Amino acid sequence: MRAGLFVRVFGLVFAAILIIPTVVVTATAFTEGSIITFPPQGMSWRWFEEVLTDPVWTGAIRTSLTVGVLAAVIAVLVGTSLALAAARSGLLPSSLVVAVGMTPMVVPLVVVAIGVYFVYVRIGLYGGILSLALAHAVLGVPFVLVNVLAALRSLDPHVEEAARACGAGPVRTLLRVTVPQILPAALIGGLFAFITSWDEVVVAIFLNTPTLRTLPVVIWGQVRSGLEPSTSAVATILTVVSLVVFALTAAISSRRSRSRRVH
Amino acid sequence: MTSPETGRRLRRPDFWTLAGLPGLLFVLLAFGVPMVTIVVRSLTDPSPENFQFLFTDELFRRSLLRTVYVALLVTGLSVLLGYPYAYAMARSGPVLRTWLMGALLLSFWTSLLVRTFAWGVLLSNTGVVNDLLLDLGVIDQPLPLIRNLFAVLVGMVHVLVPFAILAIYASLRGVDAELEQAAQVMGARPARAFWHVTLPLSMPGVAAGAVLVFVLSLGFYLTPALLGGPADILVSQSIVLQVQQYLDPGVGSAMAVVLLALVLAFLAIASKVVGLGRILGVTGKEGTS
Repeated sequence: MRAGLFVRVFGLVFAAILIIPTVVVTATAFTEGSIITFPPQGMSWRWFEEVLTDPVWTGAIRTSLTVGVLAAVIAVLVGTSLALAAARSGLLPSSLVVAVGMTPMVVPLVVVAIGVYFVYVRIGLYGGILSLALAHAVLGVPFVLVNVLAALRSLDPHVEEAARACGAGPVRTLLRVTVPQILPAALIGGLFAFITSWDEVVVAIFLNTPTLRTLPVVIWGQVRSGLEPSTSAVATILTVVSLVVFALTAAISSRRSRSRRVH
Repeated sequence: MTSPETGRRLRRPDFWTLAGLPGLLFVLLAFGVPMVTIVVRSLTDPSPENFQFLFTDELFRRSLLRTVYVALLVTGLSVLLGYPYAYAMARSGPVLRTWLMGALLLSFWTSLLVRTFAWGVLLSNTGVVNDLLLDLGVIDQPLPLIRNLFAVLVGMVHVLVPFAILAIYASLRGVDAELEQAAQVMGARPARAFWHVTLPLSMPGVAAGAVLVFVLSLGFYLTPALLGGPADILVSQSIVLQVQQYLDPGVGSAMAVVLLALVLAFLAIASKVVGLGRILGVTGKEGTS
């Protein structure tokens, strides 16, 4: 049964409302003027040039990328480790492992933020790039866990049994047979973890120091003090990176489903 | 399972348990320790009287009630607006579906901060919406669209409605369209077929989406901080104020414990109705693959 005309029109109108904020921010970034106006006056790359030559912004971009990549790598390792135990451990109940790995998703960010802030100040980890990467890694773990667990559960156990029967030890089977099969899922989870860190503001605000400011933290400061077209330009850069990462995850999952169909 | 066997297993955990230990250890250290620290701090910095203070503090009680109220409104609006959107996606041709899905994902993947910032640009007194209405002569003076509950609701629903849409969409895709046709063949009008067949069958998705949106709403900080008024702050903002502005981490921790307890208690109750796996997407996809 097709949706009625009214519902379809509602869908289109609401779709427009959903994308208006993204469109407005992107458009205002290209203004020639020095205040945010919509529709923008003229069309120029002026504000992008300003952002990419300003050491505050370029430093923040570098910090964001470093923190995001570190957080994603840690999240992939941790999430995969948890998924292996959740899918196959004979000792630990699966639901317990999944609960441990998924909890960071439901705890309010403010609570996570003050918790890690207290601990890092106490143990002297506060201020380093690793401090934020570790905190962000925790937030990325659920995405890796969900993806890898689903991949593990859809694996054909006979492949691993065959490897074992041919004399491969458990570690060798894991690294040579299991890991290559769950790699695309782990990669998708890792990309989600990267974006989680790339976009995250609340924890990053609590852990920020003059030498540790991610892009969202600098934007946050600007948004609160006064809006400028440069903020729109940075916001556009932030969005473009997110969309590129989204396109990557989509490409990986469509390749995966294609190769599965071939089997 | 007999106890000697358990004992043997405890002494020699299997390979997959060992593989999981580094992950468990990391989450316990990097996440568990901070959570425990908050609880300890709420009780010892300086004393459990932190909680006594909270429950006699009129401001906190009001911000707690306001938080639940805002979360309920956001959840209700997200489901009401998200349902027809999900329905249009699930029951339409490939062209419309692609457009609707594309808009949803574009919005979903734009950073929360950017979207909130955009609503600031749109709703401010000199913003796009007021300019448009003034130019059209609909109003003489700018409407107060920002720094109030209205702006918070707009911003939060915009950020959270995709979660509701995706959950409802997954559920609607699982409802066999032939069931609706069967109802109509037997003489039910489309509206009746929808109310008695489609809607009940899609309720698991509605429930999962609503629970997720409600839980995420309870902890929202960014959107209320940027779009809300200074008078009507939510619990998350109270926590930040206590820790950063009033430098009272003990009271801030006690507030965090209350907020966390609220979230976990709600999830515990909700999990009796909807599986937690479905809410968080752990098992959501298994049925369709």
